[in-house]
Amino acid sequence: MSTSAPASDLLLESRDLTKHYPVRGGFFSRQAAVVRAVDGLSFEVRRGETIALVGESGCGKSTLGRVLVRLEDPTSGLLRFGGVNTTALSRREIFALRRKIQMIFQDPYSSLNPRMTIGEIVREPLEIHRMGRRSEQEQRVEGLLAEVGLSGEMMSRYPHEFSGGQRQRIGIARALALDPELIVADEPLSALDVSVQAQVINLLVRLQREHNLTYVLISHDLMVVEYLSDRVAIMYLGKIVETGTREDVFERTAHPYTRALIASSPVPDPAQRGEARPIEGEIPSPINPPAGCAFHPRCPFAIDECRMAVPPLEPVGKKSSPEHFAACIRKHEI
Amino acid sequence: MFGFFRLDPITRKRLRRFRGIKRGWYALLILLTATVLSLFANFIANSRAIAVYYEGRLYFPTFVYYDMATFGQEDDWGFDDSEADYRRMREEFAGTGNWVLMPPIPFDPYENDFTYADPPPNPPDSRHLLGTDSQGRDVLARLIYGFRISIFFALSLTLVSQIIGTIIGCLQGYLAATFDILSQRFIEIWSSLPFLYVVILIGTLVTPSFGLLLFVMSLFAWIGITYYMRTETYREKAREYCLAARSMGASPFRIVFKHILPNALTPLVTLTPFQIVAAIFALTALDYLGYGLPAPTPSWGEMIDQALQPANRGYLWLSLSPFAAITITLTLVTLIGESVREAFDPKPYARYR
Repeated sequence: MSTSAPASDLLLESRDLTKHYPVRGGFFSRQAAVVRAVDGLSFEVRRGETIALVGESGCGKSTLGRVLVRLEDPTSGLLRFGGVNTTALSRREIFALRRKIQMIFQDPYSSLNPRMTIGEIVREPLEIHRMGRRSEQEQRVEGLLAEVGLSGEMMSRYPHEFSGGQRQRIGIARALALDPELIVADEPLSALDVSVQAQVINLLVRLQREHNLTYVLISHDLMVVEYLSDRVAIMYLGKIVETGTREDVFERTAHPYTRALIASSPVPDPAQRGEARPIEGEIPSPINPPAGCAFHPRCPFAIDECRMAVPPLEPVGKKSSPEHFAACIRKHEI
Repeated sequence: MFGFFRLDPITRKRLRRFRGIKRGWYALLILLTATVLSLFANFIANSRAIAVYYEGRLYFPTFVYYDMATFGQEDDWGFDDSEADYRRMREEFAGTGNWVLMPPIPFDPYENDFTYADPPPNPPDSRHLLGTDSQGRDVLARLIYGFRISIFFALSLTLVSQIIGTIIGCLQGYLAATFDILSQRFIEIWSSLPFLYVVILIGTLVTPSFGLLLFVMSLFAWIGITYYMRTETYREKAREYCLAARSMGASPFRIVFKHILPNALTPLVTLTPFQIVAAIFALTALDYLGYGLPAPTPSWGEMIDQALQPANRGYLWLSLSPFAAITITLTLVTLIGESVREAFDPKPYARYR
């Protein structure tokens, strides 16, 4: 991908980022294989935008999210945040970095410690980073809760007294506590009712506007992605297969996998029923990915050449924006 | 910092549920009362008086030595420099304005009472409610002191083994990887050491004492705890609230103490009563075999051993009292344990009755 944005706009930049997990046969045996959860990813995140990482389960999008918030260290590659390479930082520098990158978790039922009050949960990041005195922290917590639509009286309550949507809003308040620049949201809506999803989506949009936040949204729900994101990256087996603006990806789809994803996404319109053709088969094992294009065993357009070499991520061109890239040798024919 | 000392609603709900299980709650009350009372055993079974009023002065001889001269006593040979005989005082003081307050059981557990015409053991009567043993010692007094030793030995052993087991189990679960594998192999080897032989070996080298026995048994008792704490830590560590804490930059210390431990303590609490049962039983068994606490110490195992000696056949009171005491105590603790388990069961409708 070529850099099309001015450097000042660039918040996060990754080059050939990989995360491999070793698989061992036993304690004394040598490493038997590697799981290539994230396999050579290059992408950019610009200040103030929402970029969505989309893919089916097992494609490595959650691993990528964890690498971004440094719950996991990348195996290799470059990860720049605000121009600083974060893969070569000391522990203290990483600690400082954590203030700027926060995460919203998928499951609001397990992301809040059941034995802490809401006030303690939201105050914890402030306590860890020693921001202000206790009374100041408590004031800030009250402000944060108000921002996500919860009253300060709820500070002394425990998570089980709240609904899923309220819990997720508490998780969002916690992520906001340190005034981060980037928020990685790992499937923030998938555990919520549809009616509650809308509330949380609106909250996320409002907070982004008010705090000039940048979102990395990890999701498999294309409806949410289409609504929320400025740019989209489609992942398959640890690699980005297509990326571009929302219009590029949804209206000028270039990769067969993206097409299949869009086709299998449920549409709330009975007239369109039956048109969708789901992708056949399952995602292959990331320990031993297929040769050539990893998608070829499931691709309806696959030809012999697809088995030969991994297709590079190339500009789609034509009517698309210059940011539209796809990794498919037949992208112009489809 | 140590959030688990405060009662959160989950714990409060479980305690409420425990109180609702009557048999466990009352067993706990009875056992707690007995334990607290046993702390005051010196005021319950003792040959020394609790208080003496003599010639205008008050004496509290429970922990202080007074000779016969202090109270104007003499022994059968006319000497007055041995310890005062408080049991005689009630008669001696009659009508003098002096008085004496004796414990309900006016014998200490080491004292040999040879005042009977028959040689000991003497059967229960109004002087010795549960009779005397083969050395003329009061059985009830020995039972009470034996209870105190057993219960506090069990509590100390449980506490020590839980602390060690929790630290090691948490480290295994939290650090995982190499430390977990190596320590787990060590534990497997260590736990295959025959505990009894180690105790016997040590017993032949030095005279066992309360502290030494506690130490030796702690060497083995922590192992079982690590299994539970290790898996609990593994499980809690992977929960999203722990990930959230890590992504904020929380220190490992904070994650373990604030997030993992409060959520991982359930098996520990549930196990505690059963560990106490096991500890009481182990100490009794060691004493019975003669490898436990040294000779004059009042202990239930020693009492059972004495009762089962061929020479003591037919003296039923010798065997009935320690057996009854052990049975009642262990039943109470087991009732508590079973109720705690039921109260802490996440599936509230499961019943194992």
